[in-house]
Amino acid sequence: MRLALSFGGLAALFALPFWLIPAIDPEGSGFWQHIFVTIFVFAAMACAWNILGGFAGQLSLGQTIFYGIGGYAGAMLNQHFGLIPWLGGIAGAAVSVAIAVAIAWPCLRLRGPFFTLSTIAFLEVIRLLAIHFKDFTGGSAGLPVPMFVGTEMRIGWAWMLFRDKENYLIIAFGLLVVCLAASWAVRNSRLGFYLVAVREREDAARAVGVNATAVKLAAFAISAGLTSLVGTFHGIYLNFIDPETMFSLPTAIQVAMFALIGGLGTVTGPIWGTLLVVPIAEAARGWLGAAANGLHGLVYGLVLVAVVLTMPKGLVGSIGPWLKRRLGGAAEADTAARIEAPEAAAPGEERPPVGEPLLEARNLTKRFGGLVATNDVSVTLREGEVLGVIGPNGAGKTTLFNLLSGFLAPSAGGVKVRLPDGSWVSPGSPHGFAAAGVARTFQIVQPFTGLSVRENIMLGAFHGTRSAVEARRIAEEVAATVGLTGLLDAEARSLTVGGAKRLEVARALAMKPRVLLLDEVMAGLNPADVQQAVELIKRVRDSGVSVIAIEHVMAAVMALSDHIVVINSGKLIAEGPPSEIARNPAVIEAYLGEEYAHAAA
Amino acid sequence: MDILLQLIANGVLLGGVFALISIGLTLIFGIVRVVNFAHGELLMVGLYATWIMATQFGLHPYVAALPLAVAFFFLGALMQRAIIQPLMNADPHIQIFATVGVGTALANAALMIFSADLRSVDLPWARQATDLFGLASVSRGNLVAFAVSFVATGALIAFLNRTHLGRAIRAVAQNRYAAPLMGIDVNRIYAITFGIGAGCVGLAAAVLAPLYPAFPTVGSFFVLTAFVVVVLGGMGSLEGAVVGALIIGLVESLAGYYVAPDLKEVVYFVIFLGILIVRPAGLFGVRGNE
Repeated sequence: MRLALSFGGLAALFALPFWLIPAIDPEGSGFWQHIFVTIFVFAAMACAWNILGGFAGQLSLGQTIFYGIGGYAGAMLNQHFGLIPWLGGIAGAAVSVAIAVAIAWPCLRLRGPFFTLSTIAFLEVIRLLAIHFKDFTGGSAGLPVPMFVGTEMRIGWAWMLFRDKENYLIIAFGLLVVCLAASWAVRNSRLGFYLVAVREREDAARAVGVNATAVKLAAFAISAGLTSLVGTFHGIYLNFIDPETMFSLPTAIQVAMFALIGGLGTVTGPIWGTLLVVPIAEAARGWLGAAANGLHGLVYGLVLVAVVLTMPKGLVGSIGPWLKRRLGGAAEADTAARIEAPEAAAPGEERPPVGEPLLEARNLTKRFGGLVATNDVSVTLREGEVLGVIGPNGAGKTTLFNLLSGFLAPSAGGVKVRLPDGSWVSPGSPHGFAAAGVARTFQIVQPFTGLSVRENIMLGAFHGTRSAVEARRIAEEVAATVGLTGLLDAEARSLTVGGAKRLEVARALAMKPRVLLLDEVMAGLNPADVQQAVELIKRVRDSGVSVIAIEHVMAAVMALSDHIVVINSGKLIAEGPPSEIARNPAVIEAYLGEEYAHAAA
Repeated sequence: MDILLQLIANGVLLGGVFALISIGLTLIFGIVRVVNFAHGELLMVGLYATWIMATQFGLHPYVAALPLAVAFFFLGALMQRAIIQPLMNADPHIQIFATVGVGTALANAALMIFSADLRSVDLPWARQATDLFGLASVSRGNLVAFAVSFVATGALIAFLNRTHLGRAIRAVAQNRYAAPLMGIDVNRIYAITFGIGAGCVGLAAAVLAPLYPAFPTVGSFFVLTAFVVVVLGGMGSLEGAVVGALIIGLVESLAGYYVAPDLKEVVYFVIFLGILIVRPAGLFGVRGNE
């Protein structure tokens, strides 16, 4: 249904100029064809930009670097080697992807406005270089697109040059379809989910095994390649290219602006934004004539400010949900009521025996300046075991978890994990630990608030599969295990504390880990929920996952753990089975103070 | 040897011009935590305003400087209240787009009203060269701009360090959540800071008008350099902006002569990228600000 609607909309968009133009411009001045080519070209570039700026959340204002490279590649390969622009465009896209990777590598380390500034700086450098090396690029005088070479006429489909403007409409529309399809495919793939995850919460994304740099790099490269293709066509369409037009900051700003106005990070938003703003500006220019030089820019700027202030999610992001509410009518019911008890353990299921070591931390030390947060701690997790980590507030438990999951690099010591084939690895990054089968939750819950519960769990599932269908199936299965089935379609931000804690566990479980690190999943839960959480962890354990749990709820720790380590002031002060730990004087002292320990003794 | 001294003198004076534009930008970033992409367009508006006052009312640009700075203070405060304040808790994305939108609108409004022609304030005195201790020859206007820049930065630093309001502003920069607990009206501080930042631009515009013509895109010409200066010096650091401006002024002057006139910007953009990548906090910046 939605698919049919989308294709219908696209067909209508394509038919629009062919139907509209003869009606409003019977003379055939070509002006309206030009408007529509402009709309299609900018919509295509906005779609391409949105992959980086919207999905990945990296606000680049330097995308015309690639538009320019595409334009120059098409024209120069044509001029020097007689290569048709279809091939020249592909060559240009390849160069653009290579340059995008080279630029992105340093730029992506920067955040927010600094990333934006660095993209602007690269654009300026490339523009100035294009002006400087005139022998190569023609300098600021520009480069005409060759139409006649000797006696050969380079006109027709092969050369993308036409006398009949309607053919340009067809190619421009084709480019829009390509960019839109690419954007749709990215959004619905694992890459798309990862990009949104990184944009929303980079830490939580890294915990589900996402290599944040790699996915942003991929978005940058895809966006650059597509933009370059559009640039090749547009350069030829304009018949003339020069550094000011091709490597233009105002154009880069416009493209980003259209995507924002339509709705950042939505697939169709960039098209709606372009469709809304370009005609308003062009119509205004039409009414006021040449006297209105600059009017379209004024309109763009004002619309942008208005959209940012009144609906920062853009047309699609704001109107879409409103329409849905209107049509669907179903109000978000109380989410707390829809949490179910987790599935009970199947009766008669035997607990697998505790086996060989699976994860070993040796002499871990972590210093933050003068503070030693973890001081020479060694722990061993054995297969099938639940290892409890306890200690007073500020003892360094979460630091230990960050070391065990690659979020912090130890100052000394190391962590190694045994793989299913029996070999040991020492990963150096969160995604390395994820790949080795270690999943974790966060004490301060980190749901991807803009995504549904289902999509949150899918992000974990993507660790083991590329297929969205498979990830969806795993998500439903895991949701049933933890009791979130009724909330699969709710937005993660609407969850209660208990629900959000379960979502943390579900996301980690969906990764099908062999080692699960649980950071205070019971904190803040009511007694009934604690009981359910204990049952859930037992079930997880029985399914063959080894668990390390930081927990303050003592009854639960004692009931669950096979082995307990106690940490105080960064040091391991005791370890042993629960019964011993409960009687250990050092532990009682750490928790209740020296006096109590003496009194008890 | 003479040419080198001359180039250094030119570079230092150019640095003064850049400093005057950059201190407002860095102040706004340091306190309000918003990168004002419309900063250059404010300068453009200031240059036109000075031109109108000079040609229509015969007001000397240097006389216009103070009223213009005051007017720009209110303009900046108004811009903060109307456009930045509602977005204080929004994504950095959205804030960037808001100021980009303002800049685009202003530049194009100028194009509509004044067309793309260059509008120069005619003040031959400022363009005349004067001898600098027999070492180099520089224009008087440049010397004035340099002096104003020096005094304005000094006054601003003194204001931030010595007055109650200045301390309140610095408190907000250091911890915007703790400051209201100490009885500081944070939103008022934001508006005032934005106003001061814009006021610096107003002052700069009046002083620069005799040297640089007004045209609709003059803002982006200056603002990109100002970004380089501010990042080099460390976002939010006034002292850093001054040092950064001097360095960029020297680089521009020397690279324009020794490398190639049309590549001087490439040289400092490359420095800019290098700084962003190697030390994003800049020379005087506080780690973590980036």
